[in-house]
Amino acid sequence: MASVYKSLSKTNGHGKEGPANGVKKNKQRVLILSSRGITYRHRHLLNDIASLLPHSRKDAKLDTKSKLYQLNELAELYNCNNVFFFEARKGKDLYLWMSKAPNGPTVKMHMQNLHTMEELHFTGNCLKGSRPILSFDAAFDKEPHLRVIKELFLHIFGVPKGARKAKPFIDHVMGFTLADGKIWIRNYQINETEPSKAAPSDSTDTAPKPKKSGKDKETKVSLVEIGPRFVLTPIVIQEGSFGGPIIYENKEFVSPNQVRSEIRLKKAGRYNARAEQGIERLAKKGELGLRTSGGRKSKKDELDTAELFA
Amino acid sequence: MVAKSKLKMALAAEKGVDFKKLHLKKKEKAARKGKAKKNGGEVQPLNGKKVEEEWEDVEEEDEEEGAELDGDDSGSEEEVDGPMKIDFEGIDESDSDSSAGENDQNNEDSEDEDEEDIPMSDLEDLDEEEKEDIIPHQRLTINNTVALTAALKRIALPVSKLPFSEHQSVMTSEPVSIPDVSDDLNRELAFYAQSLSAVQEARKLLKAEGVPFTRPTDYFAEMVKADEHMAKIKAKLIDEAASKKASAEARKQRDLKKFGKQVQVAKLQERDKERKQTMEKIKVLKRKRQGADTENTNEADMFDVAVDDEIKDAKTSRKDRQGPNKRQKKDEKFGFGGKKRFKKSGDAMSSGDLKGFSSKKMKGVVKQRPGKARRAGKR
Repeated sequence: MASVYKSLSKTNGHGKEGPANGVKKNKQRVLILSSRGITYRHRHLLNDIASLLPHSRKDAKLDTKSKLYQLNELAELYNCNNVFFFEARKGKDLYLWMSKAPNGPTVKMHMQNLHTMEELHFTGNCLKGSRPILSFDAAFDKEPHLRVIKELFLHIFGVPKGARKAKPFIDHVMGFTLADGKIWIRNYQINETEPSKAAPSDSTDTAPKPKKSGKDKETKVSLVEIGPRFVLTPIVIQEGSFGGPIIYENKEFVSPNQVRSEIRLKKAGRYNARAEQGIERLAKKGELGLRTSGGRKSKKDELDTAELFA
Repeated sequence: MVAKSKLKMALAAEKGVDFKKLHLKKKEKAARKGKAKKNGGEVQPLNGKKVEEEWEDVEEEDEEEGAELDGDDSGSEEEVDGPMKIDFEGIDESDSDSSAGENDQNNEDSEDEDEEDIPMSDLEDLDEEEKEDIIPHQRLTINNTVALTAALKRIALPVSKLPFSEHQSVMTSEPVSIPDVSDDLNRELAFYAQSLSAVQEARKLLKAEGVPFTRPTDYFAEMVKADEHMAKIKAKLIDEAASKKASAEARKQRDLKKFGKQVQVAKLQERDKERKQTMEKIKVLKRKRQGADTENTNEADMFDVAVDDEIKDAKTSRKDRQGPNKRQKKDEKFGFGGKKRFKKSGDAMSSGDLKGFSSKKMKGVVKQRPGKARRAGKR
């Protein structure tokens, strides 16, 4: 296998030299770590992502949640220019920080609906460290904050060409889609099948599209999901790396704490409403003079037996 | 300043606004404005028009720009008092402390703020009655377009200049539209379609650049999911399939049971009916005989052959019955009756049978050894 890799990388090397001279090379390294207090699912997700990114450096959990600027030093220590940081709060909420290390910007996002590779049981699989194709929704180009986020995704999830542990073939694709103000992330395996002789009959399928490859061979492409899955809601963009002025803040973001408190309040409201009803009823009874103590006394009737036969 | 209401004055006093200073500032500004007017007198109306045009473009950004404005409280108060037509140069200078390095457009944005919505912090200046009528937006959104684009420019890869294989990112031609996010199936389908189209495009580009795409079948390396994990997935799939099959089987069995009972009942009824019929026939025959009577002593009559015939017609023999005939099968397999000796020994017929004979097999196959070059090539 080594020979295969060598021969391939040799041919690559020749092709690359031309363009690489003038233009800045895509050189990325990502520091992946989490805060303390993450749950096992968060940890598994972190591991999944780390396994997908050969240009990443995983580090131990960060002790602090308030002094996040320490991450900059840590990134410098490991020669990383990107930081991918999971911040867990209350043992249930997960926030994702993505930053360009020394100078920013930093994006903070809320992570929801996360499912790790292990629990999803998808049949897809890919080489560890193969370079993904990144598929972005066109909506990412619409607004400036989304463009910044897209650029960060490109740096962190895109494996640079010369990454040390990268494999030479391309067998998975990562999809970033914007829907409902959230970013949905999926990871698929690229499945290439050479159509058999019987294939023309089922060429009406939606997925396979005959393609001309270099060897004049036509292969159908289909995708099989690998996992993990998660959804991100952007919250804040800071100009610096874990610091600096806030240059974007999401108006629509509702913090999970607020959601929970509202649920709790609603529950409390049920009791309050009931109690209020009771008081109201008492008041009404009092008004009608039906209560022995309190409320308005009913006027003495002149024809009352007690009056007549006193 | 005298025109200001008492309440406002009191508020201002509380906040510690120095009116004298403000007054001076305003005067200075007015002077500057006058100068500017002289300089660009003919440009002025044109500018005003332009503002109106641009309002519409910028409207979306307006609300999000709110936070910028309330950074400089005293400054904004001034602007509200002033006429709507303010030349940009003047504002540029007065605003410059709040957001250094912002361009003209941004300042325009912050200008027509007060029409759209009122940020929370501005509410403090209003009196109670007014407060009730206004619905403040909860969160001050910050969307500093300029800073965002600057940040983007700082970190952006020159994607257009780089070869595709360097970044491998594909943008869809038009935004993916998902009408209902909670509709799982269609949503995932949209994601799938997006990724698939990206793959096809990327493959074309990569092939054009001569980058290896497909993994050869004999290339083995560590995978993202380890073998145990894949085995687990496979086991789960098999489990699922098995349980599905078992449940289908059970359902079938249940149905059969239900149906089988009906069949049995029907069969019993039929048998009953048959028996009744035969009995009837026999009775009829006997009656006939009794009528025709004793003088013709036919043999057949004597032994009731006709009756037997009738019965035979009605009763089907064991062999005629349809369905699996177990006995017959067993007889065929193990033999029933007849001589059992020498059954397996050969005889003239069997030795004359050439069914299993092939001359090729008899000769034996000697494969010719391929030539040296071929052997070397195979290795």
